[in-house]
Amino acid sequence: MAATRRTDLVIGLIACGALFAAWELVAWLGLTSPRFLPAPSQILVALWRMITEQSLLWHAGVSTLRVWTAFLIAAAMAVPIGIMMGSNRIVGAALEPLIDFIRYLPVPALVPLSIIWFGVGEETKIFLLWLGTFFQLVLLVADDVHRVPQEYHEIAATLGAPGWRRLLDVALPAMLPTLVDNMRITLGWCWTYLIIAEIVAADSGLGFVIWQARRYFKTPEVMAGVIAIGVIGLLTDQLVRVLHRRWFSYLRP
Amino acid sequence: MTYLTFEQVTKTFQSTAGPIEVVAPFDLTVARGELVVFLGPSGCGKTTLMRMVGGLETPSSGRILLEGTPLTRPDHRRGMVFQSYSSFPWLTVAENVAYGMRYRRDLSAGAKADRAQHYLAVVGLSDFASAYPSRISGGMRQRVAIARTLAAGSEILLMDEPFGALDAQRRETLQLELHKLQEEDARTIIFVTHDVEEAAFLADRVILFTRRPARILAEVEVSRRLGSRRTLATRDSQDFFALRTELLAQVRATAVEEAAA
Repeated sequence: MAATRRTDLVIGLIACGALFAAWELVAWLGLTSPRFLPAPSQILVALWRMITEQSLLWHAGVSTLRVWTAFLIAAAMAVPIGIMMGSNRIVGAALEPLIDFIRYLPVPALVPLSIIWFGVGEETKIFLLWLGTFFQLVLLVADDVHRVPQEYHEIAATLGAPGWRRLLDVALPAMLPTLVDNMRITLGWCWTYLIIAEIVAADSGLGFVIWQARRYFKTPEVMAGVIAIGVIGLLTDQLVRVLHRRWFSYLRP
Repeated sequence: MTYLTFEQVTKTFQSTAGPIEVVAPFDLTVARGELVVFLGPSGCGKTTLMRMVGGLETPSSGRILLEGTPLTRPDHRRGMVFQSYSSFPWLTVAENVAYGMRYRRDLSAGAKADRAQHYLAVVGLSDFASAYPSRISGGMRQRVAIARTLAAGSEILLMDEPFGALDAQRRETLQLELHKLQEEDARTIIFVTHDVEEAAFLADRVILFTRRPARILAEVEVSRRLGSRRTLATRDSQDFFALRTELLAQVRATAVEEAAA
């Protein structure tokens, strides 16, 4: 088991390494213009300069804070509402069409409305991130409730558990592993909306950094900014996976 | 007074294609401490009947009486053992057993702990008290579920093909254990299965069902023919073979009837 995982990791690293080597080679041979496709080494240099001279880490911190604020607000609302939708037919029937509708609205299309409502400050950014996360997560949570095996509810019922205790003692722990997984996935989506939120009249954050670099055609900096987001996403994802494995170790034989 | 009585019980489910009659008017009495096996083809309505005893379904008409009182809602006096998802994966074996008493206010915390210990020992799982269900065998998981209903204080165990997913060896072991347990503890058990051999081996009485809607095709007093004690030797006896052949013939007759329909 451990050996297979290590093999997978090695294969992944080799594939990545090969890709970057080929990319570097293509750039070094002058087959592409650095303006369109700078070499990985140039991107790394840009990344280092941005960290040391342009306080990239501070911008990354600002972005992370925004993502987490919006995500936590979304999750704090989505979990109870989703559980109510999943366990109560009337609540589910009342909210689902509405949420399904809003879920399909493209977040960028709501930027003007968001500015009218919240101005161009921090609220707009949080609102846009929340918008992209809440409506997705709430439906996933409702679905998780539906997927709790009927047997669990019935065991609790025959042992005399009232409805709300069945939710708390049985449905919630039963759905928790998939809930955490769904949160991990929606947190990733939240990052994808960050750029849209930070392009709108921002003066900080990774989206702002990328957008600024684009205005001056600093392609290595644009790519460095994108890579910074990718690295943060990868690290967060891996961290949650590790926690998931630890919290829900009882699922493994 | 009779213990458990079905009086003209029927069940009709509504579907988009119209009403489906699952249980035809059904009458039966079960004595306290009796092990009754409901044997019949899949989907014949035997499970629905058992679920009505558990209070998980309500009869469309008729009623089910326990010591003269009509059964309506589920309570801990009737405990279910399912074939799959029979225990909670996030609780240890001991916690699963203790869960049976979670909503009982008449027991102190100490009494609950003692009972959990006791029934863990009864099903032979004391050594696995702190293991999680994913790390024990399927047979052990079913024992956890049985211990949970016993600890809960269920007088009637409602078992829905509980050994259906186990291999032949474990199945036989658990059948023997269940029999021994019932002899010592004298609980009433309704056991649903489509396995003829399992029915013949376990039952005091086998109720053979027709295909849907559930009706009694035949009633066989197994205890009168095999005695109330069952051992591995029972399985090899002439009487057991005769009984099994007889039941099989009946089951085949319903299968033929079904194919013709």
